[in-house]
Amino acid sequence: MTTKMYLFKEGYDNLRKHGSKTFSTMLIICATLLVLGIFLVLFQNVNANVETVRVEQGLQAFIDDTATDDEIEYMQDEIKQIEGVKEVKYIDKDMAFEDAKQAFKDQEYFLEGLDKVNIFPASFVVKFNNINQSQTVKTAVEKIDGIYKVNYNEDRIQAVISISKIANIFLLGIGAVLLIVSIFIISNTIKLAVYSNKREIFIMRYIGATNRFIRTPFIVEGTIMGLVSAIISFILISIAYVLIYARVPQVGSSLGVFGFLPYTTLWYQILIVYVVLGLFIGIFGSAISIKKYLKV
Amino acid sequence: MIEFINVKKEYNHDVLALNNINLKIEKGDFTFLVGPSGSGKSTFLKLMIKEEEPTSGKILIDGKDIGKFKNKDIPFLRRKIGFVFQDFRLLYDRDVFENISFALRVIECSEREIQAQVKNVLQMVGLTGKEKYYPNQLSGGEQQRVALARALATKPPIIIADEPTGNLDPTTAKGIFKTLLDINSRGTTVLVVTHAMDIVNDLNKRVIYLDHGQVVKDEQKGGPKFDNENVFI
Ligand SMILES: Nc1ncnc2c1ncn2[C@@H]1O[C@H](COP(=O)(O)OP(=O)(O)OP(=O)(O)O)[C@@H](O)[C@H]1O
Ligand SMILES: [Mg+2]
Repeated sequence: MTTKMYLFKEGYDNLRKHGSKTFSTMLIICATLLVLGIFLVLFQNVNANVETVRVEQGLQAFIDDTATDDEIEYMQDEIKQIEGVKEVKYIDKDMAFEDAKQAFKDQEYFLEGLDKVNIFPASFVVKFNNINQSQTVKTAVEKIDGIYKVNYNEDRIQAVISISKIANIFLLGIGAVLLIVSIFIISNTIKLAVYSNKREIFIMRYIGATNRFIRTPFIVEGTIMGLVSAIISFILISIAYVLIYARVPQVGSSLGVFGFLPYTTLWYQILIVYVVLGLFIGIFGSAISIKKYLKV
Repeated sequence: MIEFINVKKEYNHDVLALNNINLKIEKGDFTFLVGPSGSGKSTFLKLMIKEEEPTSGKILIDGKDIGKFKNKDIPFLRRKIGFVFQDFRLLYDRDVFENISFALRVIECSEREIQAQVKNVLQMVGLTGKEKYYPNQLSGGEQQRVALARALATKPPIIIADEPTGNLDPTTAKGIFKTLLDINSRGTTVLVVTHAMDIVNDLNKRVIYLDHGQVVKDEQKGGPKFDNENVFI
């Protein structure tokens, strides 16, 4: 048995010696990782939806009824040349009427007789390359002759952006709190192990054990707890997500409805976050609890 | 090997445990450190392994000023000094083999060395066959010998023992001293704190007398002539 194997075995023996404490610690770490995972998943989904809105959302520029087909074609070219414009779609008066009919499906009486005198204007729907260019594009489109009004749902876009900002801050905050809680819990468990091995540590110090030698079994103990909790949490959250995903709309499936991302785009992010956090919690939590016994 | 230069040790700024200690113990020496209770014997040993720091003065071990050692150097200082504690300091949830092999694992010996060396030291202290016993299945004298075996296992150049025969009957005590003399004859520097004056007198080795934290006598060959010194219980 090499020294490394010996130290590993000592750490593992510690875990078993404090079996029920180990179990309850891992339970709590799993719980915190799961809560964290739920927030991470929500956050990623919100972000994905925000992205969809960003891409789908455009502005609508209404065209004077007096404009001729040539003029409209010229306007369309002009808009296309504005920097930040991704695509321009022309919607003629008939299509506008059809859209309106769709929108008022249940109250079609509103539109009775309107097909004789179509009051709905033709328009361009302009999409952006990048949501940040929306303001400059809007100003440029407004300046074009023959455009009498530009509709741009700024509020909605701003709302979406601030939702994602809040989600970001919230996740960071929750993450930090849970991380601290987990480290505290694991360090408490390790403290117990350290305490019950106090005599051993004390004697080891007197027969010339280096700090590394004394510390390693406890770090192993913490690392195993962190890692096993991470893997259990990962399995649980994966099962839960896949089950839920089968029953909800998918992201981008219909505009304006919150949709979910497929798990294939999420699992590795969760796994990485869990493993990194599990290791961090385990190593850091055990390192801080052993520190004070290494001074004699 | 061991040198104290103007060493003074105060505890809590009022108890003067050692005062103005100047002495040198050569490599390969066998030395007794004796004196009444509270005279500073244990303090003397604790300074050597940096369990305590001197208030002033310098201590050289193997030519090196241990006052300059950093926290990370301490393990390596302690590996040079096999310490036999009066209270044994054994691990009660580990058997004899593990108690001894523990010291060898600490210094990262291979499994083969561990097996061989544990067997070797158990033979030296006369405990062959007790590998699987737990300390509380052993007598006080046997436990003391396990403690000694553990100190010997790593083959340190210096062995220090704080009252290694404190609670032992004369025969067992003689056995312990025999082992210490034995390893001394193979070159290990040995320093023993003891109250067993009859044995001290028998052996004609160097005896350092401490009283109230000071060296009051330092005899190169302590002998029966001190038999009646009532200061040394
Ligand atoms: N940690 C401590 N804090 C305060 N005073 C101490 C401490 N350790 C020892 N002392 C004091 O220092 C003096 C010397 O103690 P030391 O233990 O060195 O004596 P000793 O010669 O080993 O005695 P004994 O033969 O009883 O073991 C004593 O007066 C003791 O009370
Ligand atoms: Mg003492």
